[in-house]
Amino acid sequence: MIKVDDIKKDFPIFERKINGNKLTYLDSGATSQKPNQVIDVMSDVYKNNNANVHRGTYVLSSETTSKYEEVRVKFKKFINAYNSDEIIFTKGCTEGFNLLANSLCKNLNKDDEIILSEIEHHANIIPWQMAAKKYGLNIKYIKIDDSYNLDLDHLNSLLTSKTKIVSIVGESNMSGMLPNIKEIVSNVKSKSDAIFILDGAQLVPHRFVDVQDLGIDFLCVSGHKMLGPTGIGVVWGRKELWDSMDPVYGGGDMIEEVYYDKATWAPVPHKFEAGTPPFVEAIGLGVAAEYLMNITMSEVQQHSDSLREYAKSKLENIDGLNVVHSNSKNAGCTFAMSVEGAHAADISLMLDTYGVAVRAGHHCVQPFHRKLKLDATFRATGYIYNNEEDFDTLAYAIENSIKMLK
Amino acid sequence: MSIEEKISKYKKTLDLFPNPQEKYQYLIEQAKKSEEFPVELRVDEFKVNGCQSQVWLVPEEKDDKLFFKSDSDALIAKGLVTLITSIYSNETAKDITNSKIDLMDEFELGVLLSPARRNGAFSMLKTIKEFASKLI
Repeated sequence: MIKVDDIKKDFPIFERKINGNKLTYLDSGATSQKPNQVIDVMSDVYKNNNANVHRGTYVLSSETTSKYEEVRVKFKKFINAYNSDEIIFTKGCTEGFNLLANSLCKNLNKDDEIILSEIEHHANIIPWQMAAKKYGLNIKYIKIDDSYNLDLDHLNSLLTSKTKIVSIVGESNMSGMLPNIKEIVSNVKSKSDAIFILDGAQLVPHRFVDVQDLGIDFLCVSGHKMLGPTGIGVVWGRKELWDSMDPVYGGGDMIEEVYYDKATWAPVPHKFEAGTPPFVEAIGLGVAAEYLMNITMSEVQQHSDSLREYAKSKLENIDGLNVVHSNSKNAGCTFAMSVEGAHAADISLMLDTYGVAVRAGHHCVQPFHRKLKLDATFRATGYIYNNEEDFDTLAYAIENSIKMLK
Repeated sequence: MSIEEKISKYKKTLDLFPNPQEKYQYLIEQAKKSEEFPVELRVDEFKVNGCQSQVWLVPEEKDDKLFFKSDSDALIAKGLVTLITSIYSNETAKDITNSKIDLMDEFELGVLLSPARRNGAFSMLKTIKEFASKLI
């Protein structure tokens, strides 16, 4: 069992008071807080090792390069990749999807199809829309049912010989939906030769994602949502796929030979990492992954599940509160909420006066909000440093805010 | 009353409420008793974009003076835009443009007036000033 009180001690931000209250941080879906271990290692690299990677022949550069490249090895273990070269560093999930959409779609034929779901984050919609427009591709969306889960029958009906890419969310940042990825992948692969991409932005921080076991082809990860710094993420992909793909960004460090009229590419992973990478952020991410592995991902998952059960029962008992949350037995600890007659922005401002940090808006899931006829929701997400008391505070603050606003 | 005097008057009232909860309560009351905004004016032409809440602003020029009507789908934002429109209404474009006093700093409304929130009230203030400066 996770001891939240002990974990909280690693996160200096919880020493802060917000409007005279203790901080009840329930916005980890937007970004997670950072433990001292991550903050300290980054500061330490700047103080003691800083030099550009892959360039110098001097001690500092060699030290920084080793630390940077070691992160691939740590991450290989973290997601059970086949090979550490399959780990490509990006700015985050958004850049990951843009990289994949740009590199994969140019090899497709006109009228080929990409399948997404209705509840995807904009990062897993817009890059595909842009590529589809450029290459004449079609996008289809898997329906979300009344329980806020994927309609698997509908997915089956969409799969054809034209389906070339299926890209879906591993854990919804709105409803907490946790699709059975292994089953879906095996279904997709049996009915098409599509490449399967998993959006791990919310899933990877909370659950052990074993890329080999799931049978997926690519996984996009956001560093700052899993205790790491901002500006760093990972795209994992099968090596044979990376080898067959063209780079999207050109520049230093991604080349083998450069002539005035042509160039050849460095092998993966460097082929996809043009320019000076955010190596200090990557080193911070490596420590974040280690921090989670030390707790163990099974403990992290158990904590998410038990906190979710508690939060669900608490929130569903609040009069007048509409909770958009997966009705499945398995779901993430994420709750989008709305109140009839009160705006989400008002509620979140009122919650802030109690020291409760939640996000209000469409959470980059605008099409699904539109489908539900909701302008905006406010969203609470729990993580390893949250406990039942945080959701008690949330529930108390929501009830009082509703009274004030109605 | 000049723009500065109106800002000072509202500042004094807001300062009566030491904690943000009471300040928001005051803004909610202002929103509830504000003049009704015609539904037909809630159109894109008058929309001021905000990330979390929507705000509409209708400017009008009468006898060399500017008048503003405003609305928001969120109550606290509506209270705030009601104050802002009453401050800048019945003023000349020149006076609005020349008014250098920073309402953001004066009102001490923290997150509510922070540009980081990309909220409608902040964008609205910018729109009022831009509208006035174009008329000079």
